[in-house]
Amino acid sequence: MEETARRLRIKFSVPSDPRYLGVVRGAIGSLAAVIGWDESECRAIVLAVDEALTNVIRHAYHCRKDGLMELECRETADGLEIALLDNGDAPDRSKICARELDCEQAGGLGTHIIKSVMDRVSYEESPEGNRFVASKYLRKST
Amino acid sequence: MKISVRDVGAAKVVEVDGDVDLGTSPDLRRTLFDALPTVRTLALNLGAIRYIDSSGIATLIEVLKHAQQLGNAFVLFGLSPAVLEVFRLTHVIRVFPVFGTEQEALGTS
Repeated sequence: MEETARRLRIKFSVPSDPRYLGVVRGAIGSLAAVIGWDESECRAIVLAVDEALTNVIRHAYHCRKDGLMELECRETADGLEIALLDNGDAPDRSKICARELDCEQAGGLGTHIIKSVMDRVSYEESPEGNRFVASKYLRKST
Repeated sequence: MKISVRDVGAAKVVEVDGDVDLGTSPDLRRTLFDALPTVRTLALNLGAIRYIDSSGIATLIEVLKHAQQLGNAFVLFGLSPAVLEVFRLTHVIRVFPVFGTEQEALGTS
């Protein structure tokens, strides 16, 4: 009989208030370490998830603190998947771009970080709201 | 996040302890922008920063640009491994004057 592994899944309902970001960072760091990434990689994953939340606070909720962010972090067979749902303004796809690395512009840094750290990133609009999904694989195939 | 500012000769040194994120970077920005016009050299000690995100990096870029407009120096020193990784990830390490120690940053070593 095939054995199905039970894996960790954490769900957060986070107000769009920056003071809660530290709580999520602490949990994500611990989860990434348990899955098997080293200290440096854990810090990068924490940063990427934090940047995704920060993008929602800034661009979907325009820094309002009464919005809701539903974050689900799921251990998968090959790593970690995070899904972030919000009910704020939909992202302008033409503006979802990483910054040019050679310029000194501040905008787009967060998106650049997310795309650099995570192996797979997608955005979609659903009946429930804006949905951002990102995956990180434990062993990245080259 | 805790911020303190002290005078070292004709320069000012800003010390930051804690996390710099979307919630705290406005305080850091305010402190740096207030201190910048008052000195020729403003040095920021990043040794006690446990975490910095893109809003923190954006703040530092803003301050650097303002310093260049004023003709003042804005220098960084004591980057912790966590901060150094974010600087490398965002490729801004080459944008800032970065030093190992306060003495090197202020040219007093």
